[in-house]
Amino acid sequence: MGVLLEIQELTKYFGGLGAVKTVSFVLHEGEMLGIIGPNGAGKTTLFNLLTGFLQPNEGNILFKGENLVGLKPYDIVNKGIARTFQIVRPFHQLTALENVKISYLSQRGKGKARSEEEVEENCLKLLEIVGLSGKESMLAKDLPHGDLKRLELARAMATGPELLLLDEPFAGLGVKEVASLSPVIQKLSEQGHSIIIIEHKLRELMKLVRRVITLHFGEKIADGTPDEISRNEQVIQAYLGKGGRTFATG
Amino acid sequence: MLGHNKQFIFTGERIGLLTALVLLAAVPFYIQNRAIVELIILANIYAVYVASWDILCGYTGQVSFGHALFVGGGAYTAGLLNFYFKVPPYLTIFLGGGVAAVFGLLIGLPCLRLRGPYFALATFAAAGVPHGLTDVYWEITGGLDGLYGIAPIWPTLTGKYYFSLLLAVLGCLPLYLGGRSNKGLILKSIREDEIASMASGIDTPRYKLVTFVISGFIAGLAGAFYSHNQLHVGPETLSINLSVLVIIMSVVGGIGTITGPICGAYILTIFNEMLREWEEVRLLIYTATVVLMLLFAPRGILPALSGGISRFWAMRKRG
Repeated sequence: MGVLLEIQELTKYFGGLGAVKTVSFVLHEGEMLGIIGPNGAGKTTLFNLLTGFLQPNEGNILFKGENLVGLKPYDIVNKGIARTFQIVRPFHQLTALENVKISYLSQRGKGKARSEEEVEENCLKLLEIVGLSGKESMLAKDLPHGDLKRLELARAMATGPELLLLDEPFAGLGVKEVASLSPVIQKLSEQGHSIIIIEHKLRELMKLVRRVITLHFGEKIADGTPDEISRNEQVIQAYLGKGGRTFATG
Repeated sequence: MLGHNKQFIFTGERIGLLTALVLLAAVPFYIQNRAIVELIILANIYAVYVASWDILCGYTGQVSFGHALFVGGGAYTAGLLNFYFKVPPYLTIFLGGGVAAVFGLLIGLPCLRLRGPYFALATFAAAGVPHGLTDVYWEITGGLDGLYGIAPIWPTLTGKYYFSLLLAVLGCLPLYLGGRSNKGLILKSIREDEIASMASGIDTPRYKLVTFVISGFIAGLAGAFYSHNQLHVGPETLSINLSVLVIIMSVVGGIGTITGPICGAYILTIFNEMLREWEEVRLLIYTATVVLMLLFAPRGILPALSGGISRFWAMRKRG
C-alpha cells in the first residue's frame, strides 16, 4: 500500500502555547488510524490543520505527494479529504437529504453524479448506509444527537473523499448507538477509505483500528498497535492511567 | 410527510404568485386613480429592492445595513448620465445596475471576513460615505436637493406602470428561481453554518461575493428605474432610512424566502400610504403595526400564512 498522507514536522502555536509540536507520521492507503490523547493534547487542532481551518507555523502536509499547506478548507475537500466535527454542525433548517446534497454540490461531489435524480439517489443511498433511511425529509434540527453524528458522516462521505477524518464520532452516543455506528465505519474502511479517528472511547476505537498515535501537550509520544500503546509507559502516565492498559484487550 | 408539506407549500406559493401577477398585470384596467397606480409602481420598485436584499442577507444570513448603496448607486448613475449626457433611460437603467454591481464587488471583498455586527457596521458605513459625498460635490449632484429633470421612463402612466411591472418580474423572478435552485441551497448552507459549508467543499467566499454582485446589480436596476420614475435623483436614495425600510419590509414579509419580502414590500408601501390621512400619528401606527406583526408572526407574514394553511389542510385530511 502506498503512502496517502505524510505529515512532516507539523507545528502550530497559539501565541506562546504550542498546540501541535513537530508532529510527523505517515498514513497508508486504506489504513484506519486512531489518534488518542488527553483533552488539550492537540488532536482537534491537528484535524483543523489537516483540513485548512488553521494554518501551521511550520511543517508540511503531503497528500498524495502534494503539499496542502496554504490551501483553503474547501480546496482540501476537493482534493479528497473530508471531516466530521467533534461538536456536530448540521444545517439545522435544512432536511437530512439537503444536508447531504450540499456536499454533492461541491466541486468534487459534482463529479460523482450527472443528473439531479442521480444526486438525490446517491444522497439517499448514503443516508441508508449510515442508518438514516426514512429520515431524509426531517429537518436536521429535529434529529436526535445520534442521528446528527450519522448525518455528519454521510455529509463527509458525499464529497467522495479518499481520506476521512472523524473527530470523536462516538462522543455523546450510548452503548447501543456506538454499537450500531461502529460497523458503518468498519464498512467504510473495508470499502477502501483511509480513515483517521480521534476518539476517547478507547475500547470501541481499539476494535476498529490497527494503529494508534498518542498526542500529549501537542507532541507525538507514541505510535504503534493498540497492544503496544496499552503497554507504553509514557501513554499510561499521560493518558491511560494504571487501570487503562486493559482497554486494548477488553 | 414534511416532503409532502413542502411540495404543497411550493405549489401553493406558485399559484399565489401567478394570481398576484395576473392581478398586478390588470391594475390599469380596474384602477383608474392615478395616485394609486403611482403607489403600486413604487411598490413594484420596492419589491425589487427587498428581493435583492433578501438573496444577499436572507439567504446567506448576513444583515446588510447598506442596501441603499446599491439603490443609490444605480439611481445616481442613471440620474447623472441622463441629466448631463442625455443618455436614454433604457441604457441608464442597465448602466445603473452595472455600477451597483461594481459597488457590490468592492464592498463584498472586504466584507467576506466580517460577521454579525461587524458586517452590519461595514455595510452601514459603506452606504454613508457616498451619501456624504453627494453633499460635498453638490455642484454636480445637486446636494441635498438632488437633480430635477430626469427623463421619464415612459410618457404615459400606463406605460410607466407596465415598465415597473416588467422590472419587478425581471428583477424578482431570477432571484426567486435562484433561491429555490441548488445555488440557493448552497447559500442557505452558508447562512446555517459557514464552517460546515466549507467542510462540505463549498467555496463560500466565492458564493458570497457573487451574491453581493447580483444583489447590487438588481438593486441598482431598481434604483435607476426609481430616478426615472420620480424624474429626480436625490440623497434619499442613499439614506440609512431606505436601508432600514428594506430590512423592515423583508423581516415583516419573511426573510430567506424572496416571496415573503416581496409581500412585505407591497403590504407596507400601501399601508404606509393609507396612513397619510392620519399624518400626526402615522409613524406611531406604522411602528406599532410592524411590532405587532413581528410579535404574532416572528418568521414573517408569508411563512406564517403558508404554515397556517398547510396545518389547516393537514387537519382536514386527518378529519
